[in-house]
Amino acid sequence: MKTILFLLLFFPFFSGLILAVIGRYLPRRIAEWMACASVLGSLLMAILAFGTAGEKRYLLTLFDWMRVGDFSVSMSVYYDPLAAIMAFMVTFVSSLIHLYSVSFMREDKDYVRYFCYMNLFVFSMLVITLADNLVFLYLGWEGVGFCSYILIGFWYSDVVNATAGRKAFILTRIGDVAFGIAIALFFLLLNQLSIFSINDKASSLSAGTATLLGLLLFWGAVGKSAQLPLIVWLPDAMAGPTPVSALIHAATMVTAGAYLLMRLFPVIVLSHVAMTTIATVAALTGLFSALAALGQKDIKRILAYSTISQVSYMFLGVGSGDVTGGMDHLLSHAFFKALLFLGAGCLIQALHEEHDIFKMGNLRRRLPVVFWLYLAGAVSLGAIPPFGGFFSKDRILLSTFGHPEPIYRVLALMAEITALITVLYTFRMFFVAFLEKPSSHEDFEKKDLKIPRFMVWVNLPLAILAIFAAGLNFPEAFGGKAWLSHYLASIPGGVPSFPVSPGLERSMEIGSGLLNIAMLVMAYFLYRPEGRFLEYPSPVLLRKRLEELLFSGFYLDRLYQIALVGPYRAMAKIFWLKIDEGAVDDRFDATGNSFRLFSFGLQLWTTGRLSTYLKMLLLGFTVIVSILALSWYYFR
Amino acid sequence: MIVPYGNVLLLAVILFLLGAVCALTRRNLLMILVGVEIMLNAAGLALVGASLKWRLLDGQAFVLFIFAVAASEVAVGLALIVYSQHRTGSVNADHYNLMKG
Repeated sequence: MKTILFLLLFFPFFSGLILAVIGRYLPRRIAEWMACASVLGSLLMAILAFGTAGEKRYLLTLFDWMRVGDFSVSMSVYYDPLAAIMAFMVTFVSSLIHLYSVSFMREDKDYVRYFCYMNLFVFSMLVITLADNLVFLYLGWEGVGFCSYILIGFWYSDVVNATAGRKAFILTRIGDVAFGIAIALFFLLLNQLSIFSINDKASSLSAGTATLLGLLLFWGAVGKSAQLPLIVWLPDAMAGPTPVSALIHAATMVTAGAYLLMRLFPVIVLSHVAMTTIATVAALTGLFSALAALGQKDIKRILAYSTISQVSYMFLGVGSGDVTGGMDHLLSHAFFKALLFLGAGCLIQALHEEHDIFKMGNLRRRLPVVFWLYLAGAVSLGAIPPFGGFFSKDRILLSTFGHPEPIYRVLALMAEITALITVLYTFRMFFVAFLEKPSSHEDFEKKDLKIPRFMVWVNLPLAILAIFAAGLNFPEAFGGKAWLSHYLASIPGGVPSFPVSPGLERSMEIGSGLLNIAMLVMAYFLYRPEGRFLEYPSPVLLRKRLEELLFSGFYLDRLYQIALVGPYRAMAKIFWLKIDEGAVDDRFDATGNSFRLFSFGLQLWTTGRLSTYLKMLLLGFTVIVSILALSWYYFR
Repeated sequence: MIVPYGNVLLLAVILFLLGAVCALTRRNLLMILVGVEIMLNAAGLALVGASLKWRLLDGQAFVLFIFAVAASEVAVGLALIVYSQHRTGSVNADHYNLMKG
């Protein structure tokens, strides 16, 4: 087991290392092949580990890292059903995306850099997934942040991309600080850094410290998962290559925040305040970003806002005490969102870097395979029963609704509204991009929409999993097996804290399913080829205002610009011009100038002429000798 | 010693002054080097005279050192002069003013 887990972790690391050191000298085929093979190897190991372990847990120390006094950090892993599912998901999605990338990056010269960072990302993500020691986990946590930064700014010669990378890095750092403090507190309070032991001893924490820890962990997770108020980096992160968006900013890294809370659930659940905060922020984020997604026209930004909104469901699941529901949604979301992003990547490459869905159209005829794959992703994201995200999303809704606190009823309502808006924006994107348009753009008609066939077909496994993700956890209320629920039942929080009766479950799921289908029909009537909503921005003034509001994400970016970045810039300017240049530098300059004035007389002496120097030398020598002779003569 | 020590010292002083004037007034690097050599030999003469007067061999040993210094100085100095001539095409000391402050 130890070997399997070691290989699972370090396959991508070694491949990344080799690519970093000698990748430049390898033939392109071999470099790409190695990058993919290492991740596929990890996938194989994840499956092997899953098969070997069953429902058992393993707490293994791979090797010691550092030891100072009684503070010791070891690279240890804690393999439980939660980690097993996550490891499988991460390696599976990464493998497909690596294969896709080979096609996607076929014309890029920087493939070595790309695959090296992708491999390092997979390694760091697996560290987050498996690590037992919190400091080891933090290594992965920062590792994915670094890889995300470097891959968003992958085409760094364009300054917009580089800025987006920096923005993501700085904003996630705001969250990471809180996580770092939480780790230090854990060590201070429990003298433990191992997740296993912390969960074991969590009940010894007092209510106040548990709240503090819960909120700190949540704040760390908020940064990584782009929840309110640190939302703004994710839409800009779409500047990176599309496979990167699919892997890092949809399937894996942004869900790491939710995963962290699930891993440390016994700590979170102790604090009532933390749980309510998590659920409230999640519901608000979901509604906020779903509305923002409705106003976007860049296909990748729609998906980015949708990701934020879907990740908030996972947080809502954790906040309602239902880890299994959150994990279920994490799993299905990873499949369908990666599928949608990769499909969007196909569209964008086929249309020569066109991101605007309102400039697309007629794609059903021209890219039929992508159409069907994208449809699979869309019905899963839109939670049309019985596909993909429907049951996972509804399970979270039910857990929220079943919570005895009255505020959770409001949150459940908000989440349901979010679900309906999700259907609307998903199919807005889908219909506008794919259906025929009367005023279709002739320039695309003429263009050659050719993309490698491999790039399209590699999405097929994702599509199958996205559509049948519901089968993993088909609720027992409908005669399913609920395999995932049983598998995860043994982890903390695996069984929902406040289960609802099967009758209520059945009626609510049928109700929300019907509502979703109704929304789908409505979306069709709004955005069908003859629909009136196909112009962007709308000619009507009021709608234009509304669209602008949604398009800018409720002006959150501008608010931060005015409220935080502006004052910071002004302050920095004062420090720079008045303090640094005005006070410090000028004083130094004045000191230097006075020395210069002083040395002005001496300067005249250094003529650079050898004869002058010789004369001076001799003169000085004569003076010294004369003084010596005279003093000898008089003081003898 | 047949010659009085005072005469020896006088000769040494005259030689030293001649060398110093040569080193100071000439602008040719070679002549400066010659002046320095003369000054060194004047010092050597004074040392030999003193050694004979007090019958101590230390002075003569010192002269050997001065020979060695003079020889190496000439070797290095001439090499530098040849190199400078190659670089700037001149052996005039006042043409080298890179060190001007």
